[in-house]
Amino acid sequence: MSWLSRLLPTRSSETTSLDAASREALAHWHTLPDADLNHSHFETRYIVLNTEASGLDIDKDRLLSVGAISLEDGTLTPADSYYAQLDPDPGSVMTNLLTFSGSGPIVVYNAGLNRIMLERAFERHLGLTPDWLWLDLYWLLPALFDDRFHTPVRLNDWMKQFGIETFQRHHALGDAYAIAQLMLAAEARAMKRGVLSPRALADLERTRRQLSGR
Amino acid sequence: MTATAPEMLVGASLNFLRKFSPFNGMEDDALAFLAERLHLAYHIKGAEVLTPAMGQPPHFHIIQRGKVQARQSGPTAVTEYAMLALGPGECFPIGAISAQRPSTNSYVALEDSFVYQLSAEDFITLMKMSPVFQLFCTRYIASLLNQSRQQLQATFSQRAAEQQTMTTPLSQLLKHELVLVSPETSIRTALEKMAEIKIGSMVIADEDMRPAGILTQSDLLPRIVLPGIDLSRPVSEVMTPSPHSLYATATAYDAMLEMATHGVRHLMVLDAKGRVKGVVSERDLFSLQRISLRQIRANIDNATDAETLRNASRDIRQLALNLIAQGIGAEQLTQFISALNDALTRRIIRLELERHELHDLKYAWLAFGSEGRHEQTLSTDQDNGLIFVCPDKDAREPLRQRLITFAKSVNDSLAICGFPLCKGNIMASNPELCLTLEEWQSRFGKWITVPDPQALLNASIFFDYRVLCGDESLGDKLRIWLNKTAKRNSAFLKLMAMNALEVQPPLGRLRDFVLEDDGTIDLKKSGARLFVDVARILALRAEVSSSSTAQRLRQAGAKMGVQPDELSAIVDGFHFIQMLRLRSQHLETEHDAEGDNRVKPDELNELDRRILKEAFRQARKLQLRLKLDYQL
Repeated sequence: MSWLSRLLPTRSSETTSLDAASREALAHWHTLPDADLNHSHFETRYIVLNTEASGLDIDKDRLLSVGAISLEDGTLTPADSYYAQLDPDPGSVMTNLLTFSGSGPIVVYNAGLNRIMLERAFERHLGLTPDWLWLDLYWLLPALFDDRFHTPVRLNDWMKQFGIETFQRHHALGDAYAIAQLMLAAEARAMKRGVLSPRALADLERTRRQLSGR
Repeated sequence: MTATAPEMLVGASLNFLRKFSPFNGMEDDALAFLAERLHLAYHIKGAEVLTPAMGQPPHFHIIQRGKVQARQSGPTAVTEYAMLALGPGECFPIGAISAQRPSTNSYVALEDSFVYQLSAEDFITLMKMSPVFQLFCTRYIASLLNQSRQQLQATFSQRAAEQQTMTTPLSQLLKHELVLVSPETSIRTALEKMAEIKIGSMVIADEDMRPAGILTQSDLLPRIVLPGIDLSRPVSEVMTPSPHSLYATATAYDAMLEMATHGVRHLMVLDAKGRVKGVVSERDLFSLQRISLRQIRANIDNATDAETLRNASRDIRQLALNLIAQGIGAEQLTQFISALNDALTRRIIRLELERHELHDLKYAWLAFGSEGRHEQTLSTDQDNGLIFVCPDKDAREPLRQRLITFAKSVNDSLAICGFPLCKGNIMASNPELCLTLEEWQSRFGKWITVPDPQALLNASIFFDYRVLCGDESLGDKLRIWLNKTAKRNSAFLKLMAMNALEVQPPLGRLRDFVLEDDGTIDLKKSGARLFVDVARILALRAEVSSSSTAQRLRQAGAKMGVQPDELSAIVDGFHFIQMLRLRSQHLETEHDAEGDNRVKPDELNELDRRILKEAFRQARKLQLRLKLDYQL
């Protein structure tokens, strides 16, 4: 799908170590059509992505595991999810994650860390950077639920606000589960506010970031 | 091997479900099945999660967090019960999704809520998989019905209150102060008083205030003015003596029926001691009604040709429909239809008698089937016969021929008046049904001693006879003979019972109702018939003379020692089904048209649907009694 990523030269030697199945999956991913960002939320398959890293330093720390949950038709389907630790076969894990995520759009909480970690891992292991639309609930939630918090807060605060629980905090999938539930709420609220598509959410997020001077 | 993502997320759902009944008691495989298939959705405060308009509910919902309110929609939403807030672990809809019909409630998120949903298809699979879950759903539906009973009563009384016109006691309808004179009063004084107070009728009563007669304005011309009566004569000479009366506790409806039955326009209203309290006139009762009962009655009585009677017949139907719209009870309604149809039939017979010389004959016109039971709906064809006396064997056939010729013209006139000729030729003009008392006895006797299927079918039509016109004693004689003969013949009664039990109430185990392929219930075949058939057997056994199902049940039931409240529940059930039958019939509908007697339970409101279910339960109870009695 990504013109950009297809044009980029494969810089990493690790790509060549991919097995045949992964290479085939990658080839297939490249043929996927772009996500239609003007569809309504209920027609959009959002992918909630979350990571677990060895630490918070983007430059030093490594990605340890990834968790992904899809939201379709405004509902969270447990069966449609993915989780894996990168070791010992990061190549297949990143391929699987790429296949699972398709064309996006992607939902994360705090893109700063997650997005960079993920993009670097894709680059390193698959030699590409997917040009997904990334939506960051860190900015979107205070924009949509300004009656609850009007400045960005920690994930834990939003979970408390909504009474959301998860089976394991600080776990790539455990937190993804919480984020996915927040995204369900965000979709419903966005609909009510006339923010009807992934594109509109992206616009809202950009406005909110500019408002904060970032 | 570490758990996969779906395993972890399903595990989260499982942990949630295990906190709540009935899920915590469910079989492991069923619970796993459920957790794997649950989707989580979010509903913003005020959002409609499920409404009747959505049709068959696509999902079964389990609330994870938040509150959802169940609101009963439609005209029956009146009670507290209708407003039910559901919280975490509670689920909905159960009845609607089990029955695969639209929900009768609206479910609205009271606050922002996370709600799991399971597809309707998976719900049905789960019910089949898990006895625990099935029991939970069944109990839930049952408890809902219990809860609803009180609500039903409340709604009933409210409905009754709305229909004040028809259920108001007569005491409340007495608007004028009572004016009365003694029988000895002169005509002049009585008329002066009427003119002075501007009233249309004058009550004549004795010293103890007991009604002696009535004088109305319409009596003036024929009885006083034209004959040139001496006005100093006592009023008792021109009054209508022994006027029709009702107690003040009777309802407007009772008065209406009384007027229709006797063709009068005024009724005395009496207190508990039989003293006159006042007069109600037809105008008091039907000032709002477009077609007046009395008018129809008068049209019938004054008709000289079938054409006029046909119009009257149309008016009867129109009035019946008006009354249905006003919510008149089925028993009164059918009585009323029956009373007017009887009057109509009698008038036709009288008109034909003018053309046929039958004065020397002792005979009676019989009505069979629903007409015989006083249970005519708006679309019933003719079912009639003749019974006559002829001691001289040689004279019998010529006599029969005379009666048949007469019957033929009556049948044709009835057909003109909107009672179609019977397709099965169950008509008085059929020589087989124009019989002497002895011939009827031998016919009935044959069915009783050789009860083949045809005989049983015949019994179900002909044993419900009654005399509509002519010598009542002939009918009585036949009835007494029939009851005695049938009672002695227990094998016949047992076969009748088996026959009656062949059709079962269309109650579903899983769904509310068992429907026919087109989604309907035939209220005649699998509704009213259940009551009618059992009532007939009980009546034969208890030697009850009435041919009406309600009366048979009441009288036979009392003789058999059935509790009065139990009896009235059964009778109410029967009447409700009759009511629905009447409601589904329309003025424009042809007789025995396709749609007649068919009802779509899905199109009934919640209240009616529940009462219908209860009515079928009563039928089942009645059948069970019969089953036990005959050890079937």
